[in-house]
Amino acid sequence: MVLPFKTKHASETQDSEAPRKIVKFTVVEKTQADHAGRTDLAVFEQTMLPHLDAAHNLARWLVRNEQDAQDIVQEAYLRAFKSFDGFRGANGRAWLLTIVRNTSYTLLKRNHAVDLTTAFDEEVHAAGHESVNPAMILERAEDADLLRNAIDRLPAEFREILTLRHQEDLSYKEIGDILKIPTGTVMSRLARARARLREYLTT
Amino acid sequence: MDGYLDGELDPITSQKIEQHLGDCRKCKEAYETHAALAHAINRGAPYYKASSELHQRVQSSLRDTMAATAARDTVRENHLLGARPRARRRPVVPEIPWTWLGLAAAIILAAIVGSNLLPRLRQPTTDQFLATQLIASHVRSLMANHLTDVASSDQHTVKPWLDTKLDFAAPVVDLSGEGFPLIGGRLDYLDNHPVAALVYQRRKHFINLFVWPATADTNKAQKTITRQGYNLLHWADADFNYWAVSDVSARNLLTFKQLVEEQVLHR
Repeated sequence: MVLPFKTKHASETQDSEAPRKIVKFTVVEKTQADHAGRTDLAVFEQTMLPHLDAAHNLARWLVRNEQDAQDIVQEAYLRAFKSFDGFRGANGRAWLLTIVRNTSYTLLKRNHAVDLTTAFDEEVHAAGHESVNPAMILERAEDADLLRNAIDRLPAEFREILTLRHQEDLSYKEIGDILKIPTGTVMSRLARARARLREYLTT
Repeated sequence: MDGYLDGELDPITSQKIEQHLGDCRKCKEAYETHAALAHAINRGAPYYKASSELHQRVQSSLRDTMAATAARDTVRENHLLGARPRARRRPVVPEIPWTWLGLAAAIILAAIVGSNLLPRLRQPTTDQFLATQLIASHVRSLMANHLTDVASSDQHTVKPWLDTKLDFAAPVVDLSGEGFPLIGGRLDYLDNHPVAALVYQRRKHFINLFVWPATADTNKAQKTITRQGYNLLHWADADFNYWAVSDVSARNLLTFKQLVEEQVLHR
């Protein structure tokens, strides 16, 4: 907030004219800040509350239990509100989901439940293509419970990239912005995630 | 293959892949399996929506934070300005005492005028009294935490909520595209009936749109009143009375009225 800076400036000034002007300015500023505070909240809610479902979904897939997911969503919204001043972009959803993601990982790490990038090796899936029965995979994927269990077994980074692409329909660029990786990596990680999921569906 | 499936490749590469898929049967089959799996994930993976309790929880925690921040800033502010006597004598929110005095005066005036001139000046006096109530309701709503009973910019959330609390179905329209986003709804009591108050925002100002059912003898003509820096605009259609109250300019309020009328007509 600009306010503390103005006051500090006032205290440094020795000029008898200036404090009067600055104090006046400061008081008006405060009135506007009061009103602006309320308005900021309204603007924040209007921009960010529509993404509550998306935030909850991502958190839920990452931490895999409802209680933690709710705590994370609440925490993420508070953090977002506090840093709303620094948000200049048009893509509120991507920005909010980044915060949700970071908050989720903080929790996962604290609970030592991180199953991040343990097995990122690509060679495992090289033989995947020919031997699998497409019809069976599809049948299993149609079963919501089976699919959910399979996704839950994936490492966190695979779960999140599948959610962001398949459930939030974000572009490679947007996903790259959220995960802080280049779009080429988005594509390859997505490919590996899908391949691993296919594997889990057939075992 | 994934990039092609997701439509994220440049046109030249896409074209090449498409051509290859036309030629190579094995690849085409692999691609089709891939595509089918992707679509199955789209459809089959559960999407965990947030419960309404979580909505409430998030909104309350945001309000609490803002109140705490405001309180902290006020304490810090008074502390910092403590050294300057001039500052301490200035009221923090100058308008309020003035407004209440003005309101008191208006009510007394309305009462005197009403009792003396009731037979001859009935309609305008009733209007002035109503205007007083409207302004009071508007100002009260702007004080801490009274702005909305249901805070949502989604008309499909606000309208049903109001419908269950009132015995009429207020028209709730969404004007965010035109720069008047909906902030929420509130219940109020004016002119001896319960009314719906729809709260809109225009930049840093708020507009309260009070709506209640019109009767056979409701005057449908547009009316404007300006008082204490507030603009009030009244109109009515076949079903409802509308009063818009705000500190935005009369011209903006007129634009607002036209937008509302248009949207109500097209529902």
